[in-house]
Amino acid sequence: MNKNILTVVIFFISIANYSQETQKTSTFNKIKDRINVSLESNSQWYLNDSETGDFEEEEKLRASSYLRIDYQISNRFSSGFQIESYVPEPLFNYSKLFDKKIGIGTFYLNYKTEKLDITLGHFYVQFGSGLILRTWEDRALGLNNALRGAKIIYDPTNYLRLTTLYGKQRKGFDVSNSNIFGFETQFDIANALQLETLNSFQLGMSYVGKQEEFKKEAATGVSQPALEIPELVNSFGAYLNLEYKSLYSNFEYIYKGEDARLNNITPNQVSFSEAALFDGNAITWNIGYSRKGFGIGSTFRRLENMRFYSERNFSNVINNPTSDLSMNYLPALTKQHDYTLANIYLYQAQPGLTVVSYESPLIKSGEIGESLDVYYNIKKGTLFGGKYGTKLNLNWTYWANLKSTYTDPSGIPYFVGDDLTYETELLNFDNKLYSEINVEMRKKWTPKLKSIFTYINLNYNKGFLESKGANSFVKAWIGIAESTYKLKGGKSVRLELQHLSTNDDAKNWAGGTLEYFFNSKFGLYLNDSYNYEESKITENTKIHFFNLGGSFTKGSTRVGINYGRQRGGLLCVGGVCRPVSKNTGVTLNFVTTF
Amino acid sequence: MNIENNMKKIVYLLVFSLNFMLFGQRQLPNISLKTLSGTNTTLTEIAEKNELIIVSLWATWCVPCKNELDAVADVYDDWVSETGVKYFAVSIDDSRTAKRVKPMINGKGWEFEILLDENSDLKRAFGVSTVPYTVIIKSGEIVYKHTGYTPGFEDELYNRIVALKN
Repeated sequence: MNKNILTVVIFFISIANYSQETQKTSTFNKIKDRINVSLESNSQWYLNDSETGDFEEEEKLRASSYLRIDYQISNRFSSGFQIESYVPEPLFNYSKLFDKKIGIGTFYLNYKTEKLDITLGHFYVQFGSGLILRTWEDRALGLNNALRGAKIIYDPTNYLRLTTLYGKQRKGFDVSNSNIFGFETQFDIANALQLETLNSFQLGMSYVGKQEEFKKEAATGVSQPALEIPELVNSFGAYLNLEYKSLYSNFEYIYKGEDARLNNITPNQVSFSEAALFDGNAITWNIGYSRKGFGIGSTFRRLENMRFYSERNFSNVINNPTSDLSMNYLPALTKQHDYTLANIYLYQAQPGLTVVSYESPLIKSGEIGESLDVYYNIKKGTLFGGKYGTKLNLNWTYWANLKSTYTDPSGIPYFVGDDLTYETELLNFDNKLYSEINVEMRKKWTPKLKSIFTYINLNYNKGFLESKGANSFVKAWIGIAESTYKLKGGKSVRLELQHLSTNDDAKNWAGGTLEYFFNSKFGLYLNDSYNYEESKITENTKIHFFNLGGSFTKGSTRVGINYGRQRGGLLCVGGVCRPVSKNTGVTLNFVTTF
Repeated sequence: MNIENNMKKIVYLLVFSLNFMLFGQRQLPNISLKTLSGTNTTLTEIAEKNELIIVSLWATWCVPCKNELDAVADVYDDWVSETGVKYFAVSIDDSRTAKRVKPMINGKGWEFEILLDENSDLKRAFGVSTVPYTVIIKSGEIVYKHTGYTPGFEDELYNRIVALKN
């Protein structure tokens, strides 16, 4: 067993013992009340499949497990740690950084009063909407980019919050070879000036710096940069939130300092490209209006060269599909759907700067787009509302590649020390990458029967998004109907039918789910997605991507088991994705908190 | 053999964690949350003001969560008048979807309280891996936790708050 783990365990046991000796009888209860333990284990047994081929990796049984313990030492102090186990191997397609089998992933000690909040150890943090800095954990993605260091949040008054932090970023079980500094101030103007007319008026400003040495001697050949690599990359951000009656607006701007760009032609090597440094920026603006029964919200966002990593080597996206060591949060702003067929043509945000082709330069420098949501509740007792009302949600979204023009004075059609540079237009939506319109209708028919209908119409620029260059669109629509019928004694049955129609790419798919709950604790389901139509894309043709499984829930414990075949593609959580390979197997998920 | 060693580690980890099965967190984690108008609050503050509350972690993209909230919204008036319970729906939506929260709750006509946990601080403190996750808090102490939603769970929840009220 790992020495570090033992140390931490002993530390906690000694805290427990210490208080036991001093306070006797009630101590056991006191510890019990103050401790929170959560355990999660996701394991999969990968099987060979006559339809999709053998599982060729050596380790067939894999598991990623997490044990997290938090303890409230006193009213002001709390502490905790997380042990992670990737024994014998992490789940397939997980980040390669989790090479160590078992160890302490994160630990912290926190001191908190009304005005002061100090954390030592690992911490999670977000500045503004996360475009400049966000650290978080997502176990399904295998992502944890917590910072390890110190974070101090100070609220001198109820309208001012100051955050200062320093840390190194988590890198597997290790930390990054760089230093991150951050500062944010949040000023609640409406509160400070006692503005009665505005519900909210807030200003935030932030700074994030990354300091990373560059050893010029270590680089050779094509790796040798043609210019001075900056050791410190500075980013600045500002946001303004306004709310007046039923209207709101949030505006945020980020400037990311100049940094060298790595080329992505030779993925296994860190080599630098142009003889120029490039800066980046982001603009996002949300506006909306809502009153009871009606809501509308719009989000505009433009990202240019906004990928920000704590180690520059990781900015080579081909080598880093799992977004390890990313410091900011750049999710796709399309609507997230829960249905399988709605997740085939997924748009992934395009925030980075890449030169896709050098021969006749094709530059991807970022994205620009818009997403609009409308919510409407048709009242009870009207023609379309019926007895229980009808809930509608309409979403429209459109994304384009930033329009850029390049200049290449030397004319060298290659990337080493080239003087290739580019310029973009601020508001140009011409290079379409993705658009979607979807409508969701929720309807309660009787106290026992409910339905959800979803219609999605999408346009996906597969040519540009998945390969180099030429536009080629997949135009598809997806229809989904699901109904849940509640029976006596907590029993219920849910049926969901899906169809994806397109004349492009792999053509039509059909799918469905049948789920039955024997009581509120135990349920079984069967689902399937089937690409039934012949096309040139034969990868998934006439293969049943099925899942058969069940779950048992009691209180805060849940056990799920699944046997099935997964389609290869992107697994996305919260707009951040990692690629997954096609696989077949048995999955066991176990979660509990106590 | 390697596998044997690894298995030992797993067993050790499991036995170690099972020791804690006897335990159960009752004290509220001291975590900062945001209201819809952007001001900071904590669960502790809320629990001081309200004797009996239900806290449910949800997200705009989570279908079972919305099912739970829709189901509760239908009967919420009765719950409040009969038990005085207050329901707090804490959205774990991150900045990608957090802007959908306000139009959605109004559009849906939900009348309970909404709070934001934009970087999942409360979710982590509760040790939650999937939403919905529902907690009942009485006199500042956690008395019940539940993960997931199945149709009819709202009835079970109602029975529990009635029992706690008496």
